[in-house]
Amino acid sequence: MGKSIVITSGKGGVGKTTTTANIGTGLAQIGRKVCLVDADIGLRNLDVVMGLENRIVYDLIDVVEGHCRVRSALIKDKRFDNLFLLPAAQTREKDAVNPEQMEKLITELKQEFDYVLVDCPAGIEQGFKNAIAGADLAIIVTTPEVSAVRDADRIIGLLEADELFEPQLIVNRIRPDMIRRGDMMTTDDMIDILAIKLLGIVPDDESIIVSTNKGEPAVLDKKSVSGQAFRNIVRRLEGASVPFLALEEENMVKRLMRFIGIGGKS
Amino acid sequence: MSKEACIIKGNKHGLSISIPRGMDFAEVLSQLRTRLASAQEFFAGAAVYVSAADRDLEPEEKQQLAKTVEEFGLSITEPEADEAPAPAVESGKDEFKEDTLLLRRTIRSGQKIRYDGNVVVLGDVNPGAEIICSGDILVLGSLRGVAHAGCTGNVNASVFAFRLEPTQLRIANYISRSPDEKLPKPLGPELARVCDNVIQITAYQS
Repeated sequence: MGKSIVITSGKGGVGKTTTTANIGTGLAQIGRKVCLVDADIGLRNLDVVMGLENRIVYDLIDVVEGHCRVRSALIKDKRFDNLFLLPAAQTREKDAVNPEQMEKLITELKQEFDYVLVDCPAGIEQGFKNAIAGADLAIIVTTPEVSAVRDADRIIGLLEADELFEPQLIVNRIRPDMIRRGDMMTTDDMIDILAIKLLGIVPDDESIIVSTNKGEPAVLDKKSVSGQAFRNIVRRLEGASVPFLALEEENMVKRLMRFIGIGGKS
Repeated sequence: MSKEACIIKGNKHGLSISIPRGMDFAEVLSQLRTRLASAQEFFAGAAVYVSAADRDLEPEEKQQLAKTVEEFGLSITEPEADEAPAPAVESGKDEFKEDTLLLRRTIRSGQKIRYDGNVVVLGDVNPGAEIICSGDILVLGSLRGVAHAGCTGNVNASVFAFRLEPTQLRIANYISRSPDEKLPKPLGPELARVCDNVIQITAYQS
């Protein structure tokens, strides 16, 4: 029996879909059997980011309404035989499925796959409720911005109310230069408020835009920093202890000053 | 034409009509009609208390009054005393209850805690969270949300936190927020109380 993980955030545009695609591909890369589920009915993106949009015949709503079997709707990835995608419907809306149906579907998928990753839509309404139904774990994605953290906190509260305890955090789009200037929240600031375990940090990387447009997840690119960050996250999910990327490194002068005792906490 | 007029007053409880002694009842109805018609929407749905201080209304007069008032979408309510009943929440304004709610967790954005008594939080109160209670609020952590102590009118209520950084602080009917210039972060536990008509924050010394 596999594990189902929902990737959620509250705030839109922080990188849920990108994270789902990259973690999924990364897990498949190390040999796990993975199924990605796009729960963003009406605004599907996971198929585009995976480069599989022209292979869609059936979608999640077709399965839930009984028009086809799950097997027929699953799309095998271009690159990995052990990676599948269950796309969302683009022409329907979020009320086309309910949490009970989602839970049944996810439970069925867990029988066959090591990991079922559910890409949650933004918001806290029906789409969110559907996506978290049937999830064993939650990963919260946020960016180092006050508004994103506020929304993430709300989501954590809602997950706790739904008995999805101990979500883990991925901080996305970190800009070390802004942190050094004091213009951006540090990861410590965010953990101070959110008080959940940090799963990973991902730097802001131009190559992500290129990779999502092309449909080739960054985790496959050995030269990409964000790809490396996602590969680390995958290893941590599997239980390995991997040090976080040194993104917020101080320069030598600052470190010396701090050692002597001048200047505040980094 | 009668020289007297019945006094129609509006207050938060509704409309009260005082009918002077010796006034002709037909005149009362006609004046009432005129007054209600002039501001129909304003009075709509209001409860009407009739206080005929110096005379009692005959049953048929009461009925006529009720009918007139209903034409405008109002209804007569029997007052228990001459005054409209005071809202129950004002009793015990200045007393402190001993009932205390202990929360052993962080209160997250969007969560709202309402309690008649004191509230103690063993954890943080995150921005976007609200604590509203009739007594004191003690946060053994960071208070970053909205705290409303003494919500039933007790101005002696206080708010305490290890790190007092609320988005808004309210005690009874006083509201305050931190100044727009960025302040240094609080160094230790602080206590907020109403003093000289304003909420004041002092460093807490046990």
